[in-house]
Amino acid sequence: MAHRLLVRRIWTLPAKEIRCLPASTATISSSSFSTSLQSATTRVSFLSPSRTLPRVLPHTSRREVSFNVQDHEDFTERVIKNELPVLIDFHAQWCGPCKILGPRLEKAVAKQKGRVAMAKVDIDDHTDLAIEYGVSAVPTVIAMRGGDVVDHFVGIKDDDELDSFVSKIIGQ
Amino acid sequence: MPPVENDTGKTELKSRIQQLIDTNQVIVFSKSYCPYCVKVKDLFKELKVDCNVVELDLIEDGTNYQDMLLEMTGQKTVPNVFINKTHLGGCDKTMQAHKDGSLQQLLENEAYDYDLIVIGGGSGGLACSKEAAALGKKVMVLDYVVPTPKGTTWGLGGTCVNVGCIPKKLMHQTALLGTALQDARKFGWEIEETVKHNWETMKTAVNNYIGSLNWGYRVALKDKNVNYVNAYAEFIEPHKIKAKNKRGKETFYTAAKFILATGERPRYLGIPGDKEYCITSDDLFSLSHCPGKTLVIGASYVALECGGFLAGLGLDVTVMVRSILLRGFDQDMANRAGDHMEEHGVKFLRKYVPVKIEELEAGTPGRLKVTAKSTDTGELLEGEYNTVLIAVGRDACTDKIGLDKTGVKVNPKNGKIPVNDEEQTNVPHIYAIGDILEGKWELTPVAIQAGRLLARRLYKGATLKCDYINVPTTVFTPLEYGSCGLSEDRAIELYGQENIEVYHSLFWPLEFTVPGRDNNKCYSKLICNKLDNERVIGFHYLGPNAGEVTQGFGTAMKCGATKEQLDGTIGIHPTCAEIFTTLDVTKSSGGDVTQSGC
Ligand SMILES: Cc1cc2nc3c(=O)[nH]c(=O)nc-3n(C[C@H](O)[C@H](O)[C@H](O)COP(=O)(O)OP(=O)(O)OC[C@H]3O[C@@H](n4cnc5c(N)ncnc54)[C@H](O)[C@@H]3O)c2cc1C
Repeated sequence: MAHRLLVRRIWTLPAKEIRCLPASTATISSSSFSTSLQSATTRVSFLSPSRTLPRVLPHTSRREVSFNVQDHEDFTERVIKNELPVLIDFHAQWCGPCKILGPRLEKAVAKQKGRVAMAKVDIDDHTDLAIEYGVSAVPTVIAMRGGDVVDHFVGIKDDDELDSFVSKIIGQ
Repeated sequence: MPPVENDTGKTELKSRIQQLIDTNQVIVFSKSYCPYCVKVKDLFKELKVDCNVVELDLIEDGTNYQDMLLEMTGQKTVPNVFINKTHLGGCDKTMQAHKDGSLQQLLENEAYDYDLIVIGGGSGGLACSKEAAALGKKVMVLDYVVPTPKGTTWGLGGTCVNVGCIPKKLMHQTALLGTALQDARKFGWEIEETVKHNWETMKTAVNNYIGSLNWGYRVALKDKNVNYVNAYAEFIEPHKIKAKNKRGKETFYTAAKFILATGERPRYLGIPGDKEYCITSDDLFSLSHCPGKTLVIGASYVALECGGFLAGLGLDVTVMVRSILLRGFDQDMANRAGDHMEEHGVKFLRKYVPVKIEELEAGTPGRLKVTAKSTDTGELLEGEYNTVLIAVGRDACTDKIGLDKTGVKVNPKNGKIPVNDEEQTNVPHIYAIGDILEGKWELTPVAIQAGRLLARRLYKGATLKCDYINVPTTVFTPLEYGSCGLSEDRAIELYGQENIEVYHSLFWPLEFTVPGRDNNKCYSKLICNKLDNERVIGFHYLGPNAGEVTQGFGTAMKCGATKEQLDGTIGIHPTCAEIFTTLDVTKSSGGDVTQSGC
């Protein structure tokens, strides 16, 4: 009884409230998500108004496909200021689909041989970052270029879909 | 008391007055017989503003106060009014300020950091903070989980989500599935003889779901603009709290109003070895290993539910009971639920209390030796278990939150907070909801309802109060027990045996017939008030899906259902709930209540 009450209060919220998506759930349409991303984008440009030339970090080398974001500063340095496009994988320990998506995404990124970087953010360790970028469900993947959010998706995708998502980011 | 002569006395009095001014939104220094003072007090009452009054003629050193006020404000007469730390003046000034709107302005002054601070982010606290913020108020909610002696801790959302209703019901469901697997063979499913359960898989799945709920609450607070702080709150002044986070950093916040929603934590026994070696429900649901042979101490619903599902997973479970099962619930029903557990392999050690717990071997799980004493004969009994779960009740978290700094009254016997029917404590700007309330239900939906309605009354001018009568509830023992209204024992006490009629029946759920289990173990009972048209005052159901069955009858009782109306209701066949539309045997008649056939 209590269970139903609590859950109902959550499920009746808009789609962006849905959290850990079951593996079979289709990606949430970007229209329902864009509102929360809007503010994130403005925030990002505000955070780095006069961007100096970014340095290439050793972590984006071919050997290490992804890196774990340590804190806000690290995020600014290695993600926002990165000269490469960056995929940010917002994930959580408790999220089953994240464990499937993470390795798939790494594979897709590895195929690009250093043309795209991948950052991983544990939303429970870096709650403020996740909230700032409007992450209301995991997995959420945000694509960033020059500090701007250029694309995103929520939920799980198969290898082909990921390949085309990544190619599109690089092509931009 | 003589006039204050010395300087220290004066400084002390001055700081006492200053504190009154600083900590009250409105403070009126008044004299009880003065008509101007009455006028001012009535004005604040009319404006529905909490107005703190010091009647100078009724306190011992009133004249000293008056002299000091003269020194501080240049005004000797009463009333002497302060709003949000600003000196307003006497009666004329106050009335004038009311007329020209400056009084309202003063009242709305950003004197405090927040309109509302809610202490505790559990069922009640989250509900009311979100509601208040949705009504445009500036709201902060603080939630902090003090780790258990075993070091277990959890995320945002309080007891129900993390260590209560949610994991409990999911683990109960795990046990029901085990029974269903047994039944399934009788229905033709060919399953291997040895079916095993993996604790780790269940624990991880349940806790992953909880993790997603924690995140959902976090996002919801953000969306609703509630400022969430993960820190332990403690009052240091009536309108000011200290918040201490995990790293020990202290921050201070003030608010016009406060809501206490700190909930309860499991009680320990106070015997050697309890905190060192035993666990409570706070640890069980995230235990890294299967608990193995378990002793459950206590006969609370938490004890029976946990013992029930552990047995349902196939574990060897013993429940140690001091006196009765499910205190406060209908005893006839409680015993039937207990008997069913006993028939299904749960051992009961009745009239025993534990005296010490010793560790024989550390491990996951280890081995513990429990020494217990008979409450009848004093004879000692020893037993060996892998896990000892204490479930002897819960204590309100009200003793370490600085309530002495606020003057909020707490029942010294149980730490509970008495409130009026609007959840207001004896200190007007401090309210309380949920499990810490004295004499109220300790249930999640009750805390949520009370919290939401309170926020609407405070900030939306609503008047609806939380109705604590006829609250339906369910105990998720292996055979579930749902009830609403009075227990039979309580009904007799209130109305007298001669004025109540009890209708009852055993029944055999259709789904139990093919597997051939639990014949005539399920039971239904209605208690009706003969003085009031046989209105239903107690509803009791022991059987499958008790929560689902009881919910609707709860609504019927809220609508004042009578026995005649239930008789006039057409049942849904074949179900368990339909039994309540055909009850015709009264307990007083002594008629046969066993059932057979359709
Ligand atoms: C095993 C178990 C099973 C249960 N099953 C059910 C059920 O099936 N159905 C049902 O309706 N109810 C059930 N309950 C009861 C239900 O969990 C409670 O009634 C409900 O959680 C009470 O809500 P609350 O807001 O009063 O407090 P809680 O939900 O307990 O929340 C209080 C919060 O405040 C925090 N806190 C305390 N002090 C401070 C402080 N000073 N500063 C900051 N934070 C603080 C606590 O850590 C906690 O997070 C169950 C309880 C248990 C233990």
